[in-house]
Amino acid sequence: MLKPMLLGIFIFLNTLNIASAFDESLPILSGVGGEFTAVDADGNTIESTNFKGSVIILAFGYTNCADVCPFTLGYLKRLYAGLSSDEQKKTRIVFVTIDPKYDNPDHLKKFIGHYNKDFIGLSGSQEQIDYIVSLYHAEYNSLATLGVPTQNIRRVNPKLFADSQEAKDDKATLFSHTITLYLLDKQGNTRSLEYTGTPVEQFVGKIRALIHE
Amino acid sequence: MNKSWLIKLLILSALVAVQVLPTLKAQPEIKLDKFWVVLAPAVARSTAGYGVIKNEGNQEDTLIGIQSNSATIMLHKTEIKSGMARMIHSPHMTIKSHSELVLEPMSFHLMLTDLDMTTLFEGAEIILQFKFEKSGDIDIAVPVREILY
Repeated sequence: MLKPMLLGIFIFLNTLNIASAFDESLPILSGVGGEFTAVDADGNTIESTNFKGSVIILAFGYTNCADVCPFTLGYLKRLYAGLSSDEQKKTRIVFVTIDPKYDNPDHLKKFIGHYNKDFIGLSGSQEQIDYIVSLYHAEYNSLATLGVPTQNIRRVNPKLFADSQEAKDDKATLFSHTITLYLLDKQGNTRSLEYTGTPVEQFVGKIRALIHE
Repeated sequence: MNKSWLIKLLILSALVAVQVLPTLKAQPEIKLDKFWVVLAPAVARSTAGYGVIKNEGNQEDTLIGIQSNSATIMLHKTEIKSGMARMIHSPHMTIKSHSELVLEPMSFHLMLTDLDMTTLFEGAEIILQFKFEKSGDIDIAVPVREILY
């Protein structure tokens, strides 16, 4: 009687152990990432440790980006839709702007919300953003040659501005930037570096593995 | 076949050649296929357009500009190097004979800035005017739609 019971307890504990096991196929990428402070979409200071307990997919970009960022956010939208509603609750998609001067929290919220209301846009001071970029060994550079007032670029009908300030603000500053998607576990460790070429099903599998650790 | 018939045949061949040869003169034949513009978030300052520029002719042609009343448009190329994406402006793009230029995400694309958002809404169509060195101006109506990737 005792023997089967002990065997049952052993099997049960072993199952628990498997369920909470560290997924060795996703080793911790030490030196990539870390704790940081930023500003959330409502203008509140937020610590990265606030995300502990959730699996994070972190991306860098900016809202004046025409090709890469909308494509990346479209990909993340599809990725997020591949998760069950319970898995979505345990996952956060975080988009960190590398253009905090233009992408203020409210602007970022409206931009990101176009793709999915659950996505989190993070802005902050230039120093805060540069620190996050350095933590993830990411890079960005402004493409100065394109930082010209757009009314100077040829157009069928020249754009008219209400006042000189509006014309001054009408800048098309572009950046080059890292396109890596960082997959973070519930403790905030970077576990995998992905990109928009990763098949969605494969990426979803990795997110699931981290949710169930 | 007697001599007069041979002469007639030669004259006929020459006439046919005079009629046909000019039509064989090297010239580009540009077709703009499957173009669309990404529906931008309301607060966006830029968006992208994709499609295919085909040259089915037997001479190359060069794209020298794209215009629209809905935006300022440039041909850009996204280049990925060491995990970094950067954009390169291609003001003059030659499309060789019997070839095509595919515009798609993370590659060549139309970069639309200076957006007139009153014309760029879901389901709308905007007119793009492609200007080619030899083929001249080609206007097409392009749909605006949500990114589907």
